Amino acid sequence: MTGVDIAIPPRSVYVGVVRLAVAALARQAGLDEDEVDNLRIAVSEACTTVVLAQEGDGNDDPVTVRWDDTEDEVSVEIEGASPPAVAPADVDDSQGFSSRDVLSQALLESLVDESSFDDRDGGRVTRLVIRRH
Amino acid sequence: MELGLDVQKVDSHAVVDVKGEIDVYTAPKLREKLIELVSEGSYDVVVNLEGVDFLDSTGLGVLVGALKRVKAHDGSLSLVCTQDKILKIFKITGLTKVFPIHSSVDDATTASSE
Repeated sequence: MTGVDIAIPPRSVYVGVVRLAVAALARQAGLDEDEVDNLRIAVSEACTTVVLAQEGDGNDDPVTVRWDDTEDEVSVEIEGASPPAVAPADVDDSQGFSSRDVLSQALLESLVDESSFDDRDGGRVTRLVIRRH
Repeated sequence: MELGLDVQKVDSHAVVDVKGEIDVYTAPKLREKLIELVSEGSYDVVVNLEGVDFLDSTGLGVLVGALKRVKAHDGSLSLVCTQDKILKIFKITGLTKVFPIHSSVDDATTASSE
């Protein structure tokens, strides 16, 4: 098992740094290029959600990204502040277009084999898994 | 991380060639450019995504916002994209039903002129 921890300041400019690191780790772990691309998009979405929440609140705590690679799966946990709850009325705008949160959720659920969210004490841990086939 | 934006006029269309990664950091630059075009009276816009390496939900939000602005002026917003890794983002989010997506700038300008 290989574990790697990354911490970034909660600023949008650093989300791209996480993408680069995750793509490199995923290739190193032997994922194919489609899986590498899917995982970097999903991790980027999860980091973006946390960064936007913390920028909005002026919360300077670092956003942490934990990579784990086992025989059965690759997992990435993104930890930071919980995003504000999305009111049902805000899911779609008056013209029926989905909000960024809804678009992001659709991507997270589609691009990895498993995505889960654990909200507690004002924080959120998003866990993304790609299972080895 | 830089986002390259180049605007050219093709017939009555403003064509925006985008190069680089569209994410939470760079999307505001694209949003500003698209707002500027509409405020200058360009209501038929083509966004060429052939040079884009990465697109996320914030980038999609910018494109949806621009679509709403041009529609408010009875205009159009079309996309040019043939890359599978970018097209899948539109498919997953259901936005292939919202945006006309073409394989070339010529196709996009011709289709939205009809």
